[in-house]
Amino acid sequence: MMKTPRLVAALVATAMLAIAGCGDDDDGGGAPEAEKATQAKASGNVTWCIGKDTTGAFGTVIDAFNKANPDANVKLLELPEDAGEQRRLQVQRLEAKSPECDVLGTDVIWTAEYAAQGWLLDVSDWISKNGDKFIPSTVDTTEYEGKNWAIPFNSNAGFIYYRTDEVDKAPETWEDLYKEAQSGNGVVYQGFRYEGLTVNFLELVYSAGGSVLSEDGKEATADSQEVKDALTFMADGIKDGAAPKAVTTYKEEESRRAFESGNATFMRNWPYAYALGKDSKIADNFDIATFPGFAGKEGAGVLGGYNLAISAYSKNPEGSLAFAEFATDPKQQALMATEASLPPTVTETYDDPAVKKAMPFAEELRTAIDQAQPRPVSPVYPQISEAIYNNVYAALQGDMSADEAASKMNEEIQKALETF
Amino acid sequence: MEAASVKLGRGRKKRGKTFGSEERRLAALLLTPAMAVIALVAAYPIGYAIWLSFNEYSVRTPGLSRWAGFKNYTEAFGSSEFWEAVKNTFIFTGLSVTLELAIGLGMAIAMHEAFKGRGLLRTVVLVPWAVLTVVSAITWRTLFEPNLGLAPQILDAIGIGGDVVWLGQEGYAMAVMILADVWKTAPFMALLLLAGLQVIPDDVYDAAKVDGATTWQRFRRITIPLLMPAILVALIFRTLDALRIFDLPYVLTGGSNGTTTLSLIAHQELTTNRLIGYGSALSVLTFIIVMAVSFIYIRTVGGNIRSLAEEG
Repeated sequence: MMKTPRLVAALVATAMLAIAGCGDDDDGGGAPEAEKATQAKASGNVTWCIGKDTTGAFGTVIDAFNKANPDANVKLLELPEDAGEQRRLQVQRLEAKSPECDVLGTDVIWTAEYAAQGWLLDVSDWISKNGDKFIPSTVDTTEYEGKNWAIPFNSNAGFIYYRTDEVDKAPETWEDLYKEAQSGNGVVYQGFRYEGLTVNFLELVYSAGGSVLSEDGKEATADSQEVKDALTFMADGIKDGAAPKAVTTYKEEESRRAFESGNATFMRNWPYAYALGKDSKIADNFDIATFPGFAGKEGAGVLGGYNLAISAYSKNPEGSLAFAEFATDPKQQALMATEASLPPTVTETYDDPAVKKAMPFAEELRTAIDQAQPRPVSPVYPQISEAIYNNVYAALQGDMSADEAASKMNEEIQKALETF
Repeated sequence: MEAASVKLGRGRKKRGKTFGSEERRLAALLLTPAMAVIALVAAYPIGYAIWLSFNEYSVRTPGLSRWAGFKNYTEAFGSSEFWEAVKNTFIFTGLSVTLELAIGLGMAIAMHEAFKGRGLLRTVVLVPWAVLTVVSAITWRTLFEPNLGLAPQILDAIGIGGDVVWLGQEGYAMAVMILADVWKTAPFMALLLLAGLQVIPDDVYDAAKVDGATTWQRFRRITIPLLMPAILVALIFRTLDALRIFDLPYVLTGGSNGTTTLSLIAHQELTTNRLIGYGSALSVLTFIIVMAVSFIYIRTVGGNIRSLAEEG
């Protein structure tokens, strides 16, 4: 026992020295002026870091590119399926200034954070030249502080799924939908305490014409009537039995299983549930519709999807841009849609017969994406989303009134915005 | 640093009387590689986390950081989330470890008896423990899925909690979390205790039987005291593990309904929100709590182990 103090002292000394050595390197920061990627030249090595290629479609695009450009060699670095894990692995590499990833497949909500950290190349010039081919809302997800930091790769927007054997047609408003759900078999959505709840909630807020963050991203705007209305509406829905209490444990898959097993009349979910539903026992008894209106206004969704961003540490920005350009041409976008069920970002791809065949809901999907809005654009988005889903969840559980939840949400978003 | 060098100086004087300087130098030389390894793998990361916890790293400006002093710590102490996590972590640890000990002891005693297929049983019983926690957590989540899961269906059939959304209600969510942990780690506890049982010589039992001791008396007076060292080791292992619980609440509830834990909030702040300073402070606080608990264990029962060992 008597030896311990010396041992500790020696260890602490070693650790302190090592730390002091490290600390020096970190100094001398300051925001570097963002570099641009403007020239596309299909040559050299490019590594594409994106979520798992579950369908093999990413590999097909790469093969096509490499075949068309003998001077270039793109290879795939597969990240896990889970978005949080993808982000963690990308951030790890970017923080270490690793040149390993050239093209990053980024969830639309990461753009502001990555751009603010100086991890991405500015692709505004490319977007101003080629941006017209995309559905405009998808380009909005690439913007931060007036510049574009990525190229829209695939998009996503929610739908209302409804049982054609239980109701005649899709309701015109969310209010009607909840009323029919209450007298019918209920509505299910993603009410687990996570990012999905933020999306489900914002869809109502956006439909009501509200917001949680000001245009310039500097002010929380959640303590508003629209937010309170959305909170009251969702909380009452559970209280009155329009939505089962169980939705507070539902993510996408649980909602889908509940709907497919006949336990719900309505479901809010992403397009992926369509093909799976056509394989289930309710295959002939459901249809989809774009979001209904809310609070006397037209419905609006929330954008999902992935963008292609070029790492600031890439050794081959020209090759990277050339590949991103190739992956977003209408032909490759059609391939993504048919092979991987990834909703295209390019407008004309939705008219492609092959796409229409693979996605019978292509027309509705284009409309849904067009009407959808991005989630709050901010480098502290993860904290903003946490403030949203924590307080919405408390309201759903009846732990907080809508007014309390709105004001606490606002307070926490404001605090997040003031993060150093 | 000053305090440390004072201590070093004092140590030198004292040690000098017992050992020659020659041996001291040799000892230092021989210890160096081991010390370097410890410094590299243990002390450096811990020290680095402590350093990070006294700083703030900007999430808006690249490379910008500043000294924060105790700000991250005062923020943690001032947040209700932190205290809720502490409370939940201790409730979870206390209940799960107690249940695991009781069930593990029963399993160990059963497996200690000689019967046909004992070897097979000992292997099979470890299967839950070999399953990755995340995988078993997903299984439990599916089992308790409202309406469709097996558990609510069975419970409903026998008339328990028909209306309960197990993972969506406070109290019930914690119960599922504890159940999942007990299912997974009771076999591990059993294995440690079984090893302890096997070193108790049969002669002791035979002698007691000759003296007319009942089964209960033999269990109370022989098995428990002689098993105590193994029980304490098992308790320390399990307690320290349970205090760091992460996977179960992460998968089962996302920390909602009174199941958020220290590791969960540290992970949220560190990797999701990327608040390196604040997240590190939470990690350091978790580390201190785990240290304190193991210190209490070793202080109060560590002596017991030694005296028990000496008696034995």
